[in-house]
Amino acid sequence: MKKLTRRQFMVLSGKAATGAVIFVACGLPERELIVQSPVELPEDLVRGEDAWFATTWGDMPGGDGLIVRVMEGRAKKVAGNPDFPVNAGKQSVRHDAALQLLYHPDRISRPLMRRSKGGALNPISWAEAEIEMINALEAAGGVTVVTNPLRGHLGLVAEQFAALYGGRHIAFDAVEQGVLHGAVDRVFGQSSLPDLDIGEAQAVLSFGADWLSTWVSPVSLSVKYGQFRGQGHRGYLVHVEPRMSMTAAAADLWIAPRPGTEGEVALSIAKEIIDHGWASSGDIGAFMENMPDGALDNYGASAVAERSGVPEERLKRAAEKLGTNRPALAFAGGSTGAHANGSFNLSAIYSLNYLLGSVGSKGGIRSNPASPLSGVPSSATGASLEEWENEIAQWRGGNVRTVIVRGADIVHGLPASVEVKGALRAVPKVIAFATVLDDTAAEADLVLPEKSFLETWGSDIPEPGPGYQTVAFQQPVVGPTVNFDEVGLVSDARGFGDVLLWASGDGLGVSSMEDLVRNASGQLFDLGRRSDSINAPDKRLFFNGALQRGGWWDNGATGDDLGGAAPNFMELGKEAKYSSTVPAEEGEEFHLIPFQSNALLDGRLASTPWAQQSPDPMSSAVWETWVEINKRVAEDLGIIEGDVLFIRSVNGEIEALAYPHPGVPPGVVGVPMGQGHSHGGRYAEGRGQNVMSILTDIKDSETGALAWAATKVRVSKSGLRRKVPKFEGTVEAFPTEPGVPVLVVGPDETAHEAEEANHHLHQQSIYGGKE
Amino acid sequence: MQQRRDLSQTHTNRVLLNSQLNTPSWWLPTVILLGIVVIIGWVVIGFILNKGLGVTGLSRPVFWGLMIVTFVFWVGISHAGIMISAILRLTQAEWRRPVTRAAELLTVFSLLTALLFPLIHEGRPWRAYWYAPYDFARGIFPSVRSPLVWDPSAIGTYLTGSTLFLYVALLPDLGNLRDRTTGWQKVFYTMLALGWRGNPRQWKLQTIGGILLSALMLPIFVSVHSIVSWDFAVTTGVEGWHSTIFAPYFVIGAVHSGVSAVVTMMALMRWLWKWGDFIRPEHFDALARLLIVVATGWLGFTFLELIFALYTLEGPELALREMQIFSWPWNVWFIVFLLTGYFIPVPLWLFKKVRNNIAMMFWTSILVNIGMWLERFFIVVPGLARKTPFTFAWESYKPSPIEWFLLGWSVAWVSFLMLLFARFFPLVPLFEQKESQVFTTNVKIGRASVPAIIREQE
Amino acid sequence: MTTEVFGKHKWGMVVDVDRCTGCQACVLACQVENNVPLNTQERYERARGMAWIRVERYWEGEFPDVKARFIPILCQHCENAPCEPVCPVFATYHNPEGMNVQIYNRCVGTRYCANGCPYIVRFFNYWEPVWPESFRNHLNPDVTVRSRGIMEKCSFCMQRIRRGVRNAAKENRELEDGEIQTACQQACPTDALVFGDIDPDNNRTNPGRAYSMINDDRAYTLLPRLNTDPNVIYLAKVDPDREGGAGGH
Ligand SMILES: Nc1nc2c(c(=O)[nH]1)N[C@H]1C(S)=C(S)[C@@H](COP(=O)(O)OP(=O)(O)OC[C@H]3O[C@@H](n4cnc5c(=O)[nH]c(N)nc54)[C@H](O)[C@@H]3O)O[C@H]1N2
Ligand code: SF4
Ligand code: SF4
Ligand code: SF4
Ligand code: SF4
Ligand code: SF4
Repeated sequence: MKKLTRRQFMVLSGKAATGAVIFVACGLPERELIVQSPVELPEDLVRGEDAWFATTWGDMPGGDGLIVRVMEGRAKKVAGNPDFPVNAGKQSVRHDAALQLLYHPDRISRPLMRRSKGGALNPISWAEAEIEMINALEAAGGVTVVTNPLRGHLGLVAEQFAALYGGRHIAFDAVEQGVLHGAVDRVFGQSSLPDLDIGEAQAVLSFGADWLSTWVSPVSLSVKYGQFRGQGHRGYLVHVEPRMSMTAAAADLWIAPRPGTEGEVALSIAKEIIDHGWASSGDIGAFMENMPDGALDNYGASAVAERSGVPEERLKRAAEKLGTNRPALAFAGGSTGAHANGSFNLSAIYSLNYLLGSVGSKGGIRSNPASPLSGVPSSATGASLEEWENEIAQWRGGNVRTVIVRGADIVHGLPASVEVKGALRAVPKVIAFATVLDDTAAEADLVLPEKSFLETWGSDIPEPGPGYQTVAFQQPVVGPTVNFDEVGLVSDARGFGDVLLWASGDGLGVSSMEDLVRNASGQLFDLGRRSDSINAPDKRLFFNGALQRGGWWDNGATGDDLGGAAPNFMELGKEAKYSSTVPAEEGEEFHLIPFQSNALLDGRLASTPWAQQSPDPMSSAVWETWVEINKRVAEDLGIIEGDVLFIRSVNGEIEALAYPHPGVPPGVVGVPMGQGHSHGGRYAEGRGQNVMSILTDIKDSETGALAWAATKVRVSKSGLRRKVPKFEGTVEAFPTEPGVPVLVVGPDETAHEAEEANHHLHQQSIYGGKE
Repeated sequence: MQQRRDLSQTHTNRVLLNSQLNTPSWWLPTVILLGIVVIIGWVVIGFILNKGLGVTGLSRPVFWGLMIVTFVFWVGISHAGIMISAILRLTQAEWRRPVTRAAELLTVFSLLTALLFPLIHEGRPWRAYWYAPYDFARGIFPSVRSPLVWDPSAIGTYLTGSTLFLYVALLPDLGNLRDRTTGWQKVFYTMLALGWRGNPRQWKLQTIGGILLSALMLPIFVSVHSIVSWDFAVTTGVEGWHSTIFAPYFVIGAVHSGVSAVVTMMALMRWLWKWGDFIRPEHFDALARLLIVVATGWLGFTFLELIFALYTLEGPELALREMQIFSWPWNVWFIVFLLTGYFIPVPLWLFKKVRNNIAMMFWTSILVNIGMWLERFFIVVPGLARKTPFTFAWESYKPSPIEWFLLGWSVAWVSFLMLLFARFFPLVPLFEQKESQVFTTNVKIGRASVPAIIREQE
Repeated sequence: MTTEVFGKHKWGMVVDVDRCTGCQACVLACQVENNVPLNTQERYERARGMAWIRVERYWEGEFPDVKARFIPILCQHCENAPCEPVCPVFATYHNPEGMNVQIYNRCVGTRYCANGCPYIVRFFNYWEPVWPESFRNHLNPDVTVRSRGIMEKCSFCMQRIRRGVRNAAKENRELEDGEIQTACQQACPTDALVFGDIDPDNNRTNPGRAYSMINDDRAYTLLPRLNTDPNVIYLAKVDPDREGGAGGH
């Protein structure tokens, strides 16, 4: 064999080394090659100290108290504040997902400006942006401040700021609660929402409101639901809604009436209760006092069964459960109020509480006291569609020079008939505050990067409150912002409230939200009620205490008694109206029930991937827009899961993936809200379709609110099919045998008895009768 | 019919060493073609290692798929070698002689291929050495309770044993080749022949070695596929897996597919190297008769499995069988499985004409292996797709193109290895052939002259 | 040391199916707490979504007599865990506190344990998890981020247990019942999930909440016929209108 010279050896080893480098470079990722200890247990990995800061998320309906886990200056986890009376330490998917608003990769890091309408948005400095903003405010013409419904100090600042510039503050809520607030005011004489004492009730009758998922204050209501189920004698829940929502699924008895007939269903239940003598004469009096004679004559169970499509037996069962289990309460919202007769429906239903004797009592409906901070908004709701139409006419007419938008994606949320985009283009200066560019901010001339709720000061007065005075404090839980480009952290954003305060000079008397919150704490200290949530000798320590506990509350400060008798709601418009449908030849006619997505709500969380990927409770679908359709109806129409369906109203068309299931009433299709954004960051952009865009402009006859559940559509197949992204597998999930895996027991049955009974049932089904 | 011809030893040498001494013209293009496929395959495997198993069609709960099916398939094929060599050797079946080497070779190469699949199919194959009972200071030792530890031991033993077996049987032929070659080839064969001279002592040792190895391999033969079956059978949570009949069911299925693969190979050898004199219809006839028995036994197990499954009347089990047998597209594949695995080949083999028709035997044996591959698919996948009563998690499985490619590639890879081997070593053992000729004389029975084997009485 | 300090407990969870509304709060809370990768649309389409705790929804009946039943399913921390013996490298094992533990860096990714687990609660990282750089800020430093090729599952929020036990030891006191909350339990608005020590020895003098629930009339376990002996106990859903049950016999 030839001898290897030293020179050859060097050459060879050099080649080998190069080869090794190339092999590594094109092979496995570097970190895979780091030798790990295969015996290090996960349990030995816990290191470092963490801190939990209390705060709140003032932008959300409900007003839940939160705690945020912070380690090394980074927020790690959002959870419910266990001290806070509204949500008692509990949370929803929305709260966890909101953390991603803070660290969103598409956060706007610098002010952006458009030189001319239709031009591109270009980055500018804050100094330039400040000049632009002041110029816009000082120019002649009106100013309108558009926000989400805001309570607490941010609401106060927005209102006062608009007043300072002689403009107006108008709030937008895609699923507005105006009809609800109107009805509560009409029935109980109180405009802020009452406390629903579900936890202590023996029977609950709810209509339309998906209160376990998205309605009003879902976390606190879910906490109460847990108590309702856990009582010594388990409560009975009747839920009336034309779509099987989470709440309908949780109900012991679900009634799916023809959309718009919910008020009639309530009255037939009332009539049954009265006829069977399940109500005291005093309660009957309170209920009927202001009503014309024979008001209920037309609402016999069989007649209403006919009109509402609900089997008579179910109406009677509901009445019996309500009539014979006390305390009992009734409430409504959601799609029940979203009809031309929405005010009638809600008023009739809330009035039932007089009949049930549950107004102002334990296990019933209790008032919430006025806020201890006078002047600070404690109740908020979006303007009605009618008001919006008027406002937008002003914009289009050139009467508004400057529109400031914050937290309200009106381009996405208002029905197409309003044509917001065109109106916005007619406004000379549109200034938008945003963390991630949404569809409305994308129309603005000046976009200002906004801090998230985890970086700003603020306060909230929860609505509905827990039945006593409560104020939540919001504080920055992570440190000062750092430029996103350099360190990959948070953007160079400013708080909406702080910018408004700055722009008003000394006009509002304070210079920062922090001062406002500190002053509010001082006001509370001055109330002298020191033995409540915070016990502190001076204002400074009191403020610290308020920040530590996440707020201030006084469970002795309850509200006044609610009114003594039901109003005469019979005078309200009783007729439900529906839109006509496209006269198209093809497609089957359905009633469209849009619903708020459990995770995205109306779309305000669409930019966060955690919300996007959180399975819908009913379908387990994610990342897309789907349409719920009855399984048998779908079979008849030859529709199978994943078929791309056209959903056409007289106002337009969207596409959605079919998800047939047995829980959909035959004449109805349900479509989730929240998708179909043309902006909103990488996770929202161009994803799914916006059901709001095809709603027709039918309004509630009393309040002028959008009757968003009154649209009829035609559904037809497009011929395409895609896989529905969902967590559920490919098989329709029915149990293979009774009681597996969800064991159901009767009221006095033990698990063991139920298992045996199920076993016999199963044997019978196999061996055909004999065992 | 008189099939055997009297062949001189020179003729035998010339014909059987044809491939080594003067390469046939089709050899190089075929090997290059297969080589290209093989290289692409290795690149694809590299791609999987680089990207991760996301490139497969696997999901939750279908965590195992085509690669495990293919693994079981090749382990099954590997049973051919021992079945033909060891068992037939021990039972002194004379017709085994021309095919023993090829069958053993198939065992070795299919085992090598089989082992590859679980490796690629691991999440972190670069950690596979953790299976080895090698306490490397970090205190990690494999869990002897896991069938995945039994598996490598069983297959490793089988691979070692069959490689030795192959080598021992190759020694006389290596000596023969050493004596007929020059240059580098001579060096090559000299090294491999280990000083084989063909003296009586060496012959004796070689024969004893062969017989001992045969006897040793027999329990391994039974154990290997039993253990592979336990990968599935011990899994209580998967209906369709947790079955006590799996061990014998898998073994008999393996024999069915392995022997069929040998038939396929014999036909190819006869055609490609024109070894009609050595690989004769009578051999096919004998194997076909063996197959009829094996296949029928196997079919019995197949139905037994279904009956056992149905006997419990449990929801998921019923759903699984319902899917497997009645729902689209499984139903079509189930029929294809039954037809190819049994109902086409076996009835055909009942006819002597078919048994002696090389082309018919070739195609029917291929059908069997299509059927047997499908059988493994039906065992591995449906149980996972209909796992336990959590219908909410029931899934389907669509293998990705990469998985399909690897299945095809594995066939090319085994063929490539076989052809490469055939270039350098005789596929038909010369010494066995000559031994058989020495033992054979023609005996006159009436007017016919019939070949008969004469053995020395010891 | 691990066994000495931590092995005094037997952790378990009681899941009240009657309270669960299917709200998914537990699912996301667990995902956030435990650095479970983002479930992209592609992952869902290929049935590779990960949820250490998942809420399954079962249909019963047809409209209008239709019910949707929710049940949260997490690792049952089986005492006789079928996932454990099949692992060739001891990457999943039973610890002295009754928990089934997964050692990520020991796992070679055979997915055999996942086949073995009858509750389908094991999740495999088919892809390397991808986090945009900015989202890495919210990763929980107490929990390993799993690379591709390995198996993961509910750990009973091991890191929280460790913190709780250590804090109590540091302060030289006994751990209180309810002091340690898993992330899913903490989130659950209806209080359907109750985690705690279910070791009879530790509950003799002062029974903890979870312990006092495991012998409830409604208590049952999933797939009892497999004899896995889970440490997660379910309380049956109540249907006041249930017919054909034992009430009728
Ligand atoms: N845990 C445990 N395991 C054991 C044993 C033990 O004592 N304990 N014993 C061992 C012994 S000795 C034996 S023999 C085996 C027995 O094991 P198996 O044969 O499995 O016995 P079983 O569970 O009694 O019955 C099997 C099934 O048959 C059903 N069955 C009953 N009658 C009929 C019928 O007429 N027709 C049909 N189609 N089905 C019917 C039953 O409902 C049951 O589901 O178990 C062995 N394994
Ligand atoms: S019952 Fe099943 S799991 Fe248990 S020992 Fe018998 S065969 Fe094995
Ligand atoms: S996937 Fe990991 S934990 Fe599971 S059996 Fe394989 S090596 Fe063990
Ligand atoms: S539930 Fe599954 S993963 Fe958890 S211990 Fe039991 S078998 Fe193992
Ligand atoms: S116990 Fe912890 S790890 Fe397990 S499901 Fe709950 S949150 Fe997830
Ligand atoms: S958080 Fe609670 S109520 Fe919501 S899905 Fe989970 S277990 Fe059910």
